[in-house]
Amino acid sequence: MLENIKKEFSTRTLVLIPIAIAINIAIGQLVIVLKLPIYLDSIGTVLVGALVGPWAGAATGGLASLLWGVIPPPLQYAYAIPFFYVAMVIGLMAGYFGKRGVFEKESPRWLSVLIGAVFFFTLTFFITAFLNRSTDETGYTTYPAPGALFSQYAVFFVITIVVGAAIGYYLLQKGGYAGLAGLVTGAVAAIISAPTAAIVFGGVTGSGTDLLVAAFRSSGAPIMASVMAQGSVSDPFDKMLSFMVVWLILGSLPARFKAR
Amino acid sequence: MDALSIYVARASGLHHLNPITKFVLTLCLMICGLVLPGTWSSYLILLAIIVPLAIWGKVLSRLAKLVFNISLPLIVSVFIIQTLFWGKGTPLFEVGPFAPKLEGFLFSITSAGRILFIMADFILFSLTTRPDMLMISLKQAGLPAGLAYIIVTTLQLVPRFVAKANTILDAQRSRGLETQGNLYVRAKALLPLILPLVIGSLLEVEERAIAIEARGFSSKKVETSLIEIPDSKNQKKARVFFILSTILLIATRLIWLS
Repeated sequence: MLENIKKEFSTRTLVLIPIAIAINIAIGQLVIVLKLPIYLDSIGTVLVGALVGPWAGAATGGLASLLWGVIPPPLQYAYAIPFFYVAMVIGLMAGYFGKRGVFEKESPRWLSVLIGAVFFFTLTFFITAFLNRSTDETGYTTYPAPGALFSQYAVFFVITIVVGAAIGYYLLQKGGYAGLAGLVTGAVAAIISAPTAAIVFGGVTGSGTDLLVAAFRSSGAPIMASVMAQGSVSDPFDKMLSFMVVWLILGSLPARFKAR
Repeated sequence: MDALSIYVARASGLHHLNPITKFVLTLCLMICGLVLPGTWSSYLILLAIIVPLAIWGKVLSRLAKLVFNISLPLIVSVFIIQTLFWGKGTPLFEVGPFAPKLEGFLFSITSAGRILFIMADFILFSLTTRPDMLMISLKQAGLPAGLAYIIVTTLQLVPRFVAKANTILDAQRSRGLETQGNLYVRAKALLPLILPLVIGSLLEVEERAIAIEARGFSSKKVETSLIEIPDSKNQKKARVFFILSTILLIATRLIWLS
């Protein structure tokens, strides 16, 4: 194990990590300029995980968050510091998936369609269940039965499945495996980042996703649950796009570079 | 120095402290502030420790300005969301559909305090510590050379990469790339901007690796430095004291909770 870790940190890796961190921050800035409702600030981290391995990916993620807090304003983003462990897990998971070959294999398109449809279906299911839950006087929360939800929102569910399938077909294309790995990573990130977001920052990020938190809060949900619900809506989508971008980048890199 | 850090040169005792002493103090303060219970403990740390330190370092007005600019959007957001959308609670007053809740207001005060003191803590550190001095002293304290290289290089690369991203943005715009308009148009612009940036920079890796290898990067010999960093027995004692009191505080809090 220790040998494996040592092997990942060659001179080439040590040179790659600062470049990856700068990529994270530069793309994060581009997204702000384009006013897109996503973050895409972990592309460099995923890239190192995919090219080198899980430990290098984790180191990149952790250092990126910590250093983002100490670079001079206006680029400084102290908000990232307490989330360094989330970034480490993202890098670790990207490296693990990279070892499994998700960034190299091409998936059949029907699989991408299936992934898109299932993801959107699950997301809708969670949101409707969350908004329709009821809490009795003793504070015990009950969620509506799946069957009742399906019949109540039948048309809505059909629409989301069709939209999800279309997104899978046109957006994921042949990168279904990378997209799926991104979705899983995003879901994990949403769950483990919620405590920090709720306790340290009162559940806000100062960005567009705050509106989602507000929507969940006004439905009467506690802060932690609202933050987690917001995270599970935006994080998987964000990480899926990041993994897809890395998949595209690796596809267009010269083979000579990947061989190292 | 300007492009790389927000360091402000002043002749003060705080500036002359060993960077590691300040680093340890910054981290310990953040942990203590998060561990302490209550609505006002963050404000207490801010006013009783960070502000006097800033006065000692002669950077109070600069610190106040930076902290204000960075935390204002976050704090406004906390107050709007947590006060107006608190769910069940004691309403303060009612205006149309909005009924701000007392519990939400108190929670917002706690959160705002945490945001303020964490920002102030880290910004005070960067205002009074030269990054190169910090690196040299960390190296002398036994930080691995690889890690030191990553930190220094990142601090230099980030402004350069952001400038590079803006150059690519201008270049693609002049070739007709739409970067304004509806969400679909803006999302479509993303890939033509990301791919040149990432692929161009990855091809640099090879050159840089050879360059630092040629300068003896993987040598195992201990480096010598031209700059002497002042340190004293008292500062060493102070560092131990900071760390021990933080551990003690965490332990007390854990016992008190259970």
